Amino acid sequence: MREVGRPAGTSDAADDTSSPVPQPPVDRDDLQTPALLEVKGLRKAFPGVQALGGVSLRLRAGEALALVGENGAGKSTLIKCLTGLYQPDEGEMLLEGKAERFRSPQDAFDHGIAVVPQERNLVPQFTAGENIMLESLPKRRGIMIDYDRVHREAQKWLDMLGVDIDSRVPASSLSVAQMQLVEIARAISRESRILLLDEPTASISPHETQTLFSVIRALRTRGVAIIFVSHKLEEVFELCDHVAVLRDGRNAGPQAAITDLDRNQLITLMVGRVQVVHELKPRTDGHGAPLLELRGLTSESGAQDVSLTLSRGEILGLYGLVGAGRSELAKSIIGADRVLSGQVLVDGKAVRITGPGDALRHGIGYVPEDRKYQGLIGIHSVMSNISITIWQKLQNLVGWVGGRSERAAVSPMVGKLDIKTPSLSTAVDSLSGGNQQKVSLAKWLTAGVKILIIDEPTVGIDVRTKASIHELIWDLASEGLAILLISSDMPEMIRLADRVAVMRGGRVLGDLANDHDYARMSQQIIGLIH
Amino acid sequence: MNRPVRNFIRAESFPLLVVVVLAGAGLAVLRPEFTKEFNLYVLLFDISGSMLVAFSQMMVIATGGMSLAVGATGGLSAVLAAGLMVSYGVPVEVAVVVGLLAGIAMGFANGFLTVKTGINPFIITLATSAAYEGTNFGITSSNPYYDLPTQFTDFGQARTSLFPHPLLISILVAVALGFVLYRTVIGRSILAVGGNARAAEMAGIHVGRTIVIAHVISGFLAALGGLMLMARLGNGSPTIGSQWLLPSFATVLIGGALLAGGKVSITGAILGCALLALIANGLVIFRADPYWVTFLEGALILAAVGLNQLRSTSTRQSIRPRPQAQPMPATK
Amino acid sequence: MRHRSRAIDLWDRFGLLTIVLVSWLVFALFADGFTSDFNIFSVGRAVAVSVVIGLAQMVVIATGGMNISVGAIGGVSAMFTGWLLEGVGVPVPIAILGGIGMGAALGAINGIVIVRTGINSFIITLGTASVFSGLMYVVTKVQAFRNLPPDFIDLGQTRWLGVSPLVWAMVLTCAFLWFLYRGTTLGRQMLATGANPRTARLSGVPVNRIIAVTHMLSGALAGLAGVMLLLRIGSAIPTIGGDWVLPSFAAPAVGGTLLSGGVVSVVGTFIGGLLLATIGNGLTLLNVPNFWVELTTGLVLLLAVLLDRARTLAVLRSRTGVQQPAAAPAAAKVEM
Repeated sequence: MREVGRPAGTSDAADDTSSPVPQPPVDRDDLQTPALLEVKGLRKAFPGVQALGGVSLRLRAGEALALVGENGAGKSTLIKCLTGLYQPDEGEMLLEGKAERFRSPQDAFDHGIAVVPQERNLVPQFTAGENIMLESLPKRRGIMIDYDRVHREAQKWLDMLGVDIDSRVPASSLSVAQMQLVEIARAISRESRILLLDEPTASISPHETQTLFSVIRALRTRGVAIIFVSHKLEEVFELCDHVAVLRDGRNAGPQAAITDLDRNQLITLMVGRVQVVHELKPRTDGHGAPLLELRGLTSESGAQDVSLTLSRGEILGLYGLVGAGRSELAKSIIGADRVLSGQVLVDGKAVRITGPGDALRHGIGYVPEDRKYQGLIGIHSVMSNISITIWQKLQNLVGWVGGRSERAAVSPMVGKLDIKTPSLSTAVDSLSGGNQQKVSLAKWLTAGVKILIIDEPTVGIDVRTKASIHELIWDLASEGLAILLISSDMPEMIRLADRVAVMRGGRVLGDLANDHDYARMSQQIIGLIH
Repeated sequence: MNRPVRNFIRAESFPLLVVVVLAGAGLAVLRPEFTKEFNLYVLLFDISGSMLVAFSQMMVIATGGMSLAVGATGGLSAVLAAGLMVSYGVPVEVAVVVGLLAGIAMGFANGFLTVKTGINPFIITLATSAAYEGTNFGITSSNPYYDLPTQFTDFGQARTSLFPHPLLISILVAVALGFVLYRTVIGRSILAVGGNARAAEMAGIHVGRTIVIAHVISGFLAALGGLMLMARLGNGSPTIGSQWLLPSFATVLIGGALLAGGKVSITGAILGCALLALIANGLVIFRADPYWVTFLEGALILAAVGLNQLRSTSTRQSIRPRPQAQPMPATK
Repeated sequence: MRHRSRAIDLWDRFGLLTIVLVSWLVFALFADGFTSDFNIFSVGRAVAVSVVIGLAQMVVIATGGMNISVGAIGGVSAMFTGWLLEGVGVPVPIAILGGIGMGAALGAINGIVIVRTGINSFIITLGTASVFSGLMYVVTKVQAFRNLPPDFIDLGQTRWLGVSPLVWAMVLTCAFLWFLYRGTTLGRQMLATGANPRTARLSGVPVNRIIAVTHMLSGALAGLAGVMLLLRIGSAIPTIGGDWVLPSFAAPAVGGTLLSGGVVSVVGTFIGGLLLATIGNGLTLLNVPNFWVELTTGLVLLLAVLLDRARTLAVLRSRTGVQQPAAAPAAAKVEM
């Protein structure tokens, strides 16, 4: 079924704000210099979600423009439109005043727009130099690759960046930061005029960040324009001269000079105000003895000495940026990632959870962020996806899981969560994102878990369904479930959580009681992280 | 120690070279008949034939694919050429060229079907190999073509002391492949597609075309291997190629190639061929049950992938590219 | 609403069966003796073996893997049964169970090696296939067991309720597997593992154990197929299983079992085996030389996967609003 994308300009989270967000002063100077790249009213919809609802940008040669916004604000969709991975539905992209449409990443690259994506994008077995020159390897007599020239030229680009990387070493032996620099060298070797850096500092050290920044500054003096996407505001202030803030797929105010904004104003622009939706019913917070307790948990995947407690009927929020180690912590709790040290206590008893199946036996369920690849079995039916956790329980002596008992177990849950599906045997693939998320939740509720870890429950889900999922989580806690809610969505976090634990680099930095005052809480939380 | 020597010892194929040399030396010490000229000639001939088979598989593995049709391609190409020579009196040169072209066409069909349908190459080449082999048996009615022109068989059986002349072809092919893989754009594209298809595509490489070309080269090499074996055997047997599947994987993987693609080793593959030939030869010399060969080939495959796995988990864990959500359809 | 064209629906429901019926009609008209009682009996036995070989592969495909060693396991099991009967002289039922048990044991070895090393099942089973056959050749010195006891031979020739016991064995196996996938925890966990191992694992499915058990089941089925072939031909020869890889993939592929895993059709595999064995038999009766059968099998396999691909694309095209080309059209189903 196709969900009708909501037409332009209908009510959106941004329009629901109770009071207008303070507007930054318009940068007059910016409007007079000719733009290298100008984006006007870009729109892009996916089934059920308007990812971009009319975004505009101006970028001048030699400028560093920061692109900031909360998760789901539309940054990555915008980048994918700019680099030819997505075709925008509406709007214009003007390159030096000329309207362009990029058919593929290759096409965008040929027009001088290069991107250094979040994931590394090199052929690991090839040398740094060959990766840099891969697209147009210099040849001798038409066929033979001239490796002396490959490395001479590649080295020239690397040296120009002022980085100490030997063009002849294999890409697989480089660090993440070095690989990024190699990708930058590749971009400038093709004379790219616009370089998009998507969260380049997410997984590199502060020292490497400084190297990267000096490279970026050098490029700017050569006239290369930079679009810098980052969650780290201090970096934005350090590196960029203009900033464009996205919120809910639109510009949150006009593009501004960074000097016209202070930190708090920028954060306010990013997060907006809490949208006014139905009030949640009053609910008593967690009570009684802790149901789940972590003591100094350290895991192979990166959780560092994490201690937390979660009580019956409580929603504990776990806030952090992408890569903060929240999902890794969740997977360590359910035994999917190896625990190196520390203790997990369920109902006051120390337990050793050997895997997700074992976690289920202890009454713990995990609703992963990545519905499609970890949460659901797309080609299987709604019934099968929900009952997967209770097959063992339903089977009779010969191992048969009867249709009737299964239906009896699943049907009420489909009703309770209001999952909209033509039938129980419909493939989950054909449901909308919100209903898929409910299926992913339903399997644990059907199994009757006491502790539920929910990872980014509303990513890619439209505003209305989002509200209903919020109510659902809220009601589950009212019924006594202990919920560990992982989210990067600040309004969601402040709306739902009783307490908010803030994570960075695998560690819990602090544990704040939530007073549901949006302005104060968001400042406190972001202050802790940045 | 000077630099070239150090590099030589550090080369990934060096341990395999040591094993091969030790195995050869051991056989030579234990059994004098091993070093007889004719035995060494047979050994070298086996190696020269299996090199082509190995290279044929290696080209497809380099892209991250595989071909079960290597043997069937070699067999059908050989039999076609034999039929032309024997039944139609076509000149040897023409028949050989037609045989090679047939190999190229079969390789093209494998590559084209894999790329166009996006179905995994295992199932495509399983089906085409049955088709090629069936055609082969249909043409020959399971009877070999005898009486191949002497001009053809003479070359296959010619030798200078212990060196079979066909070895020259295999060496030339090895050098040419080395040149193609490491010095030409198409070769680098093949390895880039196998190493990281998405990165290759972003760098402007035509992934589909590259895979087809790899299959075409593979088909050509299989045909060359089939013709060479036929020249040596002296008759156009329909069973040529029927036993190639296992050694084609074993030799390439022992040589250090990654089944996932992106990394192959020509030297390694040659040493793999040498090791397999020495084992077979050793079993004959010791009058052991020849069926141990089957067992040992299987055991070698398991050992090779096991070792590769150890090597990659111990040294490359941190830098492996993140698994991609959706694999490229053609390199599954 | 999403619309699937009527043509696709019709094809799904009746396509394969129509092809089988057409092939029967053609052979009945043109091949002398195709409809004779003896030929039907003999086709029945061939179908039985061919279906069980297909099932041995199907169970592994359903978990997203493959088993190149079905033939090797079948051959070893047949020889082991032959040795138990002729060399040891055990009673027939025990020898049969011994053969199946041998298959299960070899399958378990595959499963354990795959799970422990994490290497893909293709290359592991390619290796073990050769290890198993090689050891069998060495142990048996490639000697056949040709003097099997008469009550064993009789079992291959007799009729129970008008058809060969081999057919009954196949029917029971199909019923067992249908039951397994249709409604048991194990079967459904196998399908979940095949469709999406990550989700399955995070949902508490012991994915590694499931893969190992599946390979054991595949081995047991290959062992059963080996014993059935032994009953059919009456002597244990070491080349049994040498040509099973192709038909083992062809039967499930023709029957609509997705190679990507997670979807299984026991009935489809049955029809696939039926089609392949019918074509083989019919071509033989038409005096088409035996080797064309392999060509035909290869082409049927190719055609089957191409049709399936075309069908998937057609379904996607007729669906509106869904962007992902990887999405499969319908829920996993077990038909009967």
